[in-house]
Amino acid sequence: MSSVISEIRKDFLYNLILKGERADGRGFDQYREISIERDVIKKAEGSALVKLGSSQVLVGVKMQPGEPFSDSPNRGVIITNAELVPLASPDFEPGPPNEVGIELARVVDRGVRESKAVDLEALCIVPGKQVWIIFIDVHILDDCGNILDAASLGAIAALLTTKVPASKFGLGEDYTLPVKDIPIATTAIEFGDVLMFDPGMDEESIANTKLTVISTAEGKICGMQKSGTGTLKQEQIYRIVDIACEKAREIREKFLEV
Amino acid sequence: MDETDISFFKDGFRLDGRRADQLRPVKIEVGVLARADGSCYIEMGGNKVIAAVYGPREVHPRHLQEVTRAIVRYRYNMASFSVEERKRPGPDRRSYELSKVSREALEPVILTTYFPRSVIDVFVEVLQADAGTRTAGINAAAVALADAGIPMKSMISSCAAGKVADTIVLDPMKEEDNFGQADLPIAMTPGGEITLMQMDGGLTREEFHQAVEMAMKGARDIYEIQRNALVDKYSQLEAPAEEVKACE
Amino acid sequence: MDRKVVVPGDLLSEDAKRSGEGTFVKDGRVYSLLYGLANYRDKINVIPLAGKYIPAPGDNVIGVVKDITFSNWIVDINSPYDGLLHISEFPKRIESDEMSKYLRIGSSIMTRVKDVDPTKKVELTLNDRKLGLIKTGQVVEISHTRVPRLIGKGGSMISMLKKEVNCNIFVGQNGRIWVNGGAEDMDLALRTITLIEKEAHTNGLTDRIVDFLKREKGARS
Repeated sequence: MSSVISEIRKDFLYNLILKGERADGRGFDQYREISIERDVIKKAEGSALVKLGSSQVLVGVKMQPGEPFSDSPNRGVIITNAELVPLASPDFEPGPPNEVGIELARVVDRGVRESKAVDLEALCIVPGKQVWIIFIDVHILDDCGNILDAASLGAIAALLTTKVPASKFGLGEDYTLPVKDIPIATTAIEFGDVLMFDPGMDEESIANTKLTVISTAEGKICGMQKSGTGTLKQEQIYRIVDIACEKAREIREKFLEV
Repeated sequence: MDETDISFFKDGFRLDGRRADQLRPVKIEVGVLARADGSCYIEMGGNKVIAAVYGPREVHPRHLQEVTRAIVRYRYNMASFSVEERKRPGPDRRSYELSKVSREALEPVILTTYFPRSVIDVFVEVLQADAGTRTAGINAAAVALADAGIPMKSMISSCAAGKVADTIVLDPMKEEDNFGQADLPIAMTPGGEITLMQMDGGLTREEFHQAVEMAMKGARDIYEIQRNALVDKYSQLEAPAEEVKACE
Repeated sequence: MDRKVVVPGDLLSEDAKRSGEGTFVKDGRVYSLLYGLANYRDKINVIPLAGKYIPAPGDNVIGVVKDITFSNWIVDINSPYDGLLHISEFPKRIESDEMSKYLRIGSSIMTRVKDVDPTKKVELTLNDRKLGLIKTGQVVEISHTRVPRLIGKGGSMISMLKKEVNCNIFVGQNGRIWVNGGAEDMDLALRTITLIEKEAHTNGLTDRIVDFLKREKGARS
């Protein structure tokens, strides 16, 4: 359940949009300031703290050997979880993940999995018996809007810093997790026929519709999710995809490629 | 890679004999449950899905009540026996997500403000799964909502497109879904307003456009089937036992 | 009369002025909000085939007391919304502690919707001689969407029925119907009401009901 936004605030934002403006002065396709701190959790095999404006998301990666799934005996396993802990927002409640948290985790997972960012074949230890399991845990610390993009960015940033803890389990020397692609999620909202990227919290709460597009380094789309109770037109979706791929490229080049 | 082990096309036709842009057979029955306020049974290829609508009715627990509108709840559930390997009963993360996006696919057309402080419950049970259960569920749910007399701005129709062996195909079946390169389910109004949009896999932008066009075409065809099913149910009511009269 | 089955979103007219019940206007055109029967008169109304009873002020309804609070009876009126019957709407002055002496949990009442606020808080009244506790007879439930056919144009169907079956009948807009009379008469009345519900959407309904009654009464004598 989202916070109630007052009618007055809603009207204010709407009138701004009609004038072609956003409350914080950004352009409609402009992201808030992004910062990524890597390796912030030493106990984790990989980690990243992402700040997207005032939103903060911490992603930790843990690895351990375990059994493969029966339908992919020679591949490592990825398990993604998200916790919307109550400290991050008055709207989050304690308890098992709700549907918003589950959706977030699954979309983050979709980006990593479908882009084939992690070379899962390289994570096989004993075929059919033992493989590496990667746990990607997303911890939302401060929800000031668009935590999905931040979480997705955190996941790939954390994976890029992950060291496979082989020595801990007597499986040889530690080595860097083989990462082959850098999927980036970008989210836009639609409100009064205007598309806005990287929505802030107020913007999210006035919009009925959100569309997240995850694209690969090659500029291919590897995941999408529409969320919210509004509708989108075909042309709007095409436009979001076009801008999303471009934004993803900018973010990837600026923050994640060496 | 394992996906190339299977050949998806033979002489230009798919494993089940369809063309790339062809839907599986769809069958829709309206009003199949006595206790529900509205209901619908759908078969889409090998999928067998039943949807029931209860409400608007009182909200329990009460704190979920909204003063100005009805809330909509959607529960997507797979029967344990609906898949090859027995599924553990009860909701899992996948079903939570599908329930959410399916609800959001329908809510844009439901006039929830007509029924403050109430709930409209949509229950979808997948009895047999064969790829495309969420789209089948949404199609059945939209018909069940209409059958329950819920005011809506339009119907909602849902269909997926996929990519197999570098070809965009409509309404992927199990083999194509399991070993395919992309899956793109959508839902929309007959006017083309899109209310569900998900995608996984890999598509170039051109392929994406092609997939969207194809899925939308599929959804339009399904809309006609939904509409006919509703009109047919009425025609049966129209004809009293003693004397059969033509409609109107 | 021009009638047609429609589903939600069907275009009904290009003329916004013809928008009636069960329709909405978008970009100057009239569309259906419901799955039902569109009636084309000056206005186009869509009569739903199903749906819950939503109370409106002035509606006569039949309710069942489901709870008693300090000053209200809470009444199930076959709707998503319960009705509140305040102690002051009881036809005679009574004290709070004797409320359950007059209407108990489970009591059926013929009542009227006095007021409905925007959040659908429903106030009921018993302040009319026609209203009150149901002590005898039977109550049947039909879909509230069929009630208009049971009443008929200008009350024609229901007055015919009352006369033919020699019963007292109170029609609740919420689909609950009270019937009171001799055992045989009551039985025929209930069967007739069921038939009207089943065939509510057919043409020539009144004639068929008249025939039905004639046949049934003929068989009896």
